[in-house]
Amino acid sequence: MECRDVEAVLEQEGLSPLPAAAREHLVGCEGCRELVADLSAIAVAAKRIPAEENPPERIWVSLRAQLEGEGVIRRPRAEIEPAGVSSWQGFAQLLRPRALAMIGTGVLAAAGAWYYAVSPNSVAPNRAKSLPPATTPAPAPAVSPAEAATSVSAPLKPAAPVLSAGNARKRQPDRTVPPEATAPPSQIHESTTDLRPSPTELASFGESAATLNQTERAMPSGGRASNAEVDAALRTNLRTLNEFIKECETRLRENPRDQLTQEYLNMALQQKAELLNAMMDSGRSEH
Amino acid sequence: MERRDMGVRGVLCVLGAGLFFCTAVTATTAGAARAKEEEEKHFNVSGRPVVTLNNIVNGRIEVKSWKNPEVVVSSSAAPGKVSIETEQVGDRIDINATSLVDSSEPHEVEANFSLTVPEETELQLRTQTGLILVEQVSGDMKLQSVAGDIHLKEVSGYVIVKTASGSLICTGCTGKLDFNSISGSAQILQSSPTSLNLMTTTGNILYDGEFRRMGLYTMNSGRGLVEVRFSRSDSFDLKASTYRGTVDNQAPEVFQPDTHGRHHSLSGMAKALWVTMGQGSARVEVSSYSGTIRIVKRD
Repeated sequence: MECRDVEAVLEQEGLSPLPAAAREHLVGCEGCRELVADLSAIAVAAKRIPAEENPPERIWVSLRAQLEGEGVIRRPRAEIEPAGVSSWQGFAQLLRPRALAMIGTGVLAAAGAWYYAVSPNSVAPNRAKSLPPATTPAPAPAVSPAEAATSVSAPLKPAAPVLSAGNARKRQPDRTVPPEATAPPSQIHESTTDLRPSPTELASFGESAATLNQTERAMPSGGRASNAEVDAALRTNLRTLNEFIKECETRLRENPRDQLTQEYLNMALQQKAELLNAMMDSGRSEH
Repeated sequence: MERRDMGVRGVLCVLGAGLFFCTAVTATTAGAARAKEEEEKHFNVSGRPVVTLNNIVNGRIEVKSWKNPEVVVSSSAAPGKVSIETEQVGDRIDINATSLVDSSEPHEVEANFSLTVPEETELQLRTQTGLILVEQVSGDMKLQSVAGDIHLKEVSGYVIVKTASGSLICTGCTGKLDFNSISGSAQILQSSPTSLNLMTTTGNILYDGEFRRMGLYTMNSGRGLVEVRFSRSDSFDLKASTYRGTVDNQAPEVFQPDTHGRHHSLSGMAKALWVTMGQGSARVEVSSYSGTIRIVKRD
């Protein structure tokens, strides 16, 4: 099997378990290993983007202009298009893995930047201070410093809103904060639940982990003796990550709304993607 | 007769010892010369240089600064086993070290580097198992290692550190610092970064530095200990949360209730602490999935 055959397999079957011939090819082909690693990383990152967030048209226009500028895609011109080549074939050419990887990276970057810009969660807390004052919220019961300092909240006990009258005056709305954020403190706390990932996003963790596991299995086995120390370190860290990911997944099965576990699982999956990439560079794996 | 024989024997002994000594010295010298091949290259630069060192083999990288507009690259490696290539394009200097052989002994494919660079230099350094040491350099840096530790002393700029199991010790650092490791630990000492993002899955984190006004400080460890030390004059909002670990606040009397921002609820069994120190100018977010978070006030 040659590089073009591997690309064809990836086009038709994606990152589902690769055929044995393709895996054998990966053993000796650094370029294809990098391609599989890039596609895996894109797949993992893409699943973290909320499905309901569609970038505005200007993002697509900008992205298209950039890709055209870099020569990755071209506007269809009928006068130079050879007869017999359908527009679908041209589109299929665009969907070749390497082009797809580049486009995917661009889309992710654009969508990520846009999502960050519009997400209420992305508002820097200090930014609110510089904006005009709003309606003064109702004062909350005062809490003594000692009480607050030792208030390590008990299991599942949401933190009580603690705003003194003086401090409440400092709270000012931000243009990008949802309307409920300017409501009394008790409602502000409730509004934070919207920031949690949806069940759809939670399901993507499993898919991301599965994608990475497929990549791990597709990696060439055996290490290079020239760097046994590095081999050992990489393998040990992969085991560490797999154990931690397993622990987080077990926890999420028990409580799918555990935000802290979601964050740690996401970080561990990203680390695993980078580690697999490093191992592919070195032609090493855990097996 | 006996006296003459004894004299001859004495002379032979002295000659034998001398011959042995000379042979040993020659062999040792030749062996040492074979073991390491040292090389030094000089590159004149006009502005703020960008130095990239990609050490695919094992080895130590040491970077120090001076006031001269020149980059000096000193390397030592086993001859015939490591290829070291250098290239200068304007103010960019690229150094690549690759293995020429397959060897079961890690130290045999080793290249050590000592760089002297202008004080304002951008660095991209990568090695496998050796130490990366950077002292008194100002500029953006990306430092990567698999198992090698990374020591930074009096550096400033936007510093990105990535390791698999190497640890970071940062002393007297300013600017922005981003550390990501799987099992490596991080110690930030006597530093005053404006932005800090430390993430390790199983390593420990110690922050014993200043909190700059408007600074953002994030420290996360999956299974390790996270210890934050502060002084009475510091000003920050603190959010500390853990799922299975504990939050050990050793100075509860100095904190006030959190007076800024919204309280993000944590579901499940998470334990969390939201407090403010002083005016709450900086924001400090600390978490550990199953380790301990310790908040300590300096004397």
